[in-house]
Amino acid sequence: MKRILGSLQARTTLLVVAVTSAVWISASAAMWLDTRRELAMLLDAHLTQAASFLATGRRGEDEELEHGRSAVMRPYAPRVAFQVFDRSTLQSKSGDAPSEPFVPLDSQESALTTVEVKGTAWRVFSATTSDRDVRIIVAEQVAARNDIALAVLRSTLWPMLLALPLLAATVIFAVRGGLRPMKRLGDTLAARLPTALDPIPTGNTPAEMRPMVEALNGLFGRIRDLLDSERRFTADAAHELRTPIAAIRAQAQAAFTVVDAVARQHALRSTIEGCDRAARLIDQLLFLARLESGVTPDFAMLDMADLARQVLAEATPNALIKEQHLELEAPEPYPVAGSTDLLRALIRNLVDNAIRYSQMGARISVTLGREDGRTVVAIEDTGPGLDESERLRLGDRFYRGKASQASGSGLGWSIARRIAELHRLEVAVDRSPELGGLRVRLTFPSR
Amino acid sequence: MRILLAEDDRLLGDGIQAGLRALGFQVDWVRDGFATERELRAQTYSAVVLDLGLPHRDGLEVLLALRAEGNAVPVLVLTARDAIGERIRGLDTGADDYVVKPVDLHELAARLRALIRRSHGQPRDRLQVQDVSLDPAAHQVHQGGRSIPTSAREFDLLHALMLNAGRVLSREQLEQHLYSWGQEIESNAIEVHVHHLRRKLGAAAIQTVRGVGYVMPVRPAIE
Repeated sequence: MKRILGSLQARTTLLVVAVTSAVWISASAAMWLDTRRELAMLLDAHLTQAASFLATGRRGEDEELEHGRSAVMRPYAPRVAFQVFDRSTLQSKSGDAPSEPFVPLDSQESALTTVEVKGTAWRVFSATTSDRDVRIIVAEQVAARNDIALAVLRSTLWPMLLALPLLAATVIFAVRGGLRPMKRLGDTLAARLPTALDPIPTGNTPAEMRPMVEALNGLFGRIRDLLDSERRFTADAAHELRTPIAAIRAQAQAAFTVVDAVARQHALRSTIEGCDRAARLIDQLLFLARLESGVTPDFAMLDMADLARQVLAEATPNALIKEQHLELEAPEPYPVAGSTDLLRALIRNLVDNAIRYSQMGARISVTLGREDGRTVVAIEDTGPGLDESERLRLGDRFYRGKASQASGSGLGWSIARRIAELHRLEVAVDRSPELGGLRVRLTFPSR
Repeated sequence: MRILLAEDDRLLGDGIQAGLRALGFQVDWVRDGFATERELRAQTYSAVVLDLGLPHRDGLEVLLALRAEGNAVPVLVLTARDAIGERIRGLDTGADDYVVKPVDLHELAARLRALIRRSHGQPRDRLQVQDVSLDPAAHQVHQGGRSIPTSAREFDLLHALMLNAGRVLSREQLEQHLYSWGQEIESNAIEVHVHHLRRKLGAAAIQTVRGVGYVMPVRPAIE
C-alpha cells in the first residue's frame, strides 16, 4: 500500500476514483431514500383508493372485481390482499388473504399500519364504511415495495459500475500525460554526468515544477562554486608546496656539490629547515581543510584574557629571537563562547603574523576591551602594516603582503578568517593609530 | 660566468646560490623586484635566473621593463606556476627559458650555459678558438689535444675571452664577469690571471690592447 501511495500517478488515480465512487454512492443512497418515500406515499394512496373502490363496488359486483383484479394485478396477486368483514364475520377476501383480520376489528378509525403476519410484513389500510357495519382491510406485502425501490436503484447503479473502470482508465491516462514533464525532468537528471553542473533550462517547464527546477539549479550553482573553490585550493596548494620542495632539493643538491665543509653543513641544515617548513605548510593546509569541511566545533564558555596570556607566552621565544616586545593588556576576565582550540589558533596566527612581518625590535600588543558590552580583541604592531589593496587581498589563500620577505605561507590569514566566521566575529583590519603598523580587531557577538 | 639570481624565498635562493657557485658560476642573489632592476642596470651579467613571484615588483614586470630598455641579457624564468598559458606569457614577454620548480641544479646550470652560449652566437657548448678548446660543463681546457690545467679564475677569464673571441674586453668588464659582490678584487688581479694563461697557452693566445683591454684573436697572431 505504501508503495502504491508512493507513486503520484497511483495516488491521483485512487483519489479520483474513490471520490467519484463516494459521490455516486451517496447520490444513490439519497435516491434510494427518496424513491422509497415517494413509493410509500404513492402505494399508500393506491391502498386507500383500492379500499374505497371495494366499499363502493361491494354489492353484487364481486364477480366483476375479481375479474378486473386478475387482469391488471396478476403479477402482484400473491403480494396484495383484501378482507371484508361485516361486523366480525368475514364476508369476502382475496384468495391468498388469511381468514383472520390483519388488524383488530374493534377500531372504527381509518388507519394505515404495518403489521407482521406469519413472518411477512404487510402494509395495511383499514376503513369502515359509512354505515359502520362493514370493515374493509386492504394489505400489500412490504417486500413488494422494496423490490420496486431496488429495481429503480439497480437501474441507476448498473451504468455506474460499468463507468467506474472506464473512469479509472481515463484518469490513469490523463495523470500519466499530466506528469510527463516530471518524468522528462527525471530522465534529464538521470542522464546527467556528475560533472555537468550547468543549470537546467526553465523555458517550457510547467509552472508547478518551476520552483523545484529553480531550486535544483540553485543547488547546481552552489556545488559548482564549491568545486571551483576546491579546485583552486588544490592548485594553489600544489603550487605553494613547490617552492619549499624546490628549496629542499636545491639545498640537498648543494650539499652534494659544494666542497667546503662549512658550506655543506649550512646546506644540510637548510635542507632540514626546508622540510620543517613544508611540514608546517601541510599542517596548515590540513587544518584549513578541516575548518572548511563544515564541521561545527563544540562551543564552551572561556576566558579570552587567559587564552591570550597563554598564546603570548608561547610566542615569546620567537619574538625574543627578533628582539621584539610583546604586551598584553587585559585588566579583567573576558568570558566568551567559543572553541578553545580554534580561538587559540586564531590569536596565535595573528600574533605569529605580527612577529613574522614586523621588523627587529618591533612592539606587538594585544589589547582586550569591551564595546557596547561586546568583547573586543585588538592585535597591533609597529611593523610596516598593509596598504588598502593588500588589506583587501588578505585572507586570499596563500596571499602574502607585497613587501613580504618572511617565509610565511599566507595560509595563516585564511585560517584566522575561517575561525572568525565560525565564531561570528567581526574582523576589522586597519592601521594602528598608536603603533603605526597593522591593527586587527576582533569583535565578539553580543551575548 | 656571473649570474643574477632573483628569488624571494630565502631557503631556495640560498640553495641555488650555493649549488651554482659550486658548479662554477659567480652568483649575485637579490630578493625583490626593485633590487633586480637596480642590479641589472648597474652590472653586467651573463644570465639572470628570475622568479616570477617577486615582492614589490613582479618578475614579469621586471622582464618587460628590461626588454623595453633594450637589455638582451639571457633570462631564465623560475616559477611554481606550470600552466601552459603562464609559460607562453613568460616566453612572449622576453624570457629565454622557462623552468618549473623544483629544478635540478645540474639542469639549471646546463640551461644557463646553453643560454649564455647562444647569446654569444655559439651553436655548441664546447668553445674552440685558435687551437684552444674549452668545455664549460666539464670545466676543461685543451690545446692541440693536450689537457691544460687551469684555476677557477683562469678558466672563467679564458671562458669570457673565448665567448667574445675577436672582441676587446676591458679590465672592468672582465672583473664584472669574474667576481660577484663582496669579493675583494686586487687591482692587478686580471693582469696576473692573463699572465698565467699566457704561460700555459703561449704568449700569442691573448693579446693586450694598450689602454683598452684584452682580446683573444680568432686566428693566432703572426709572430
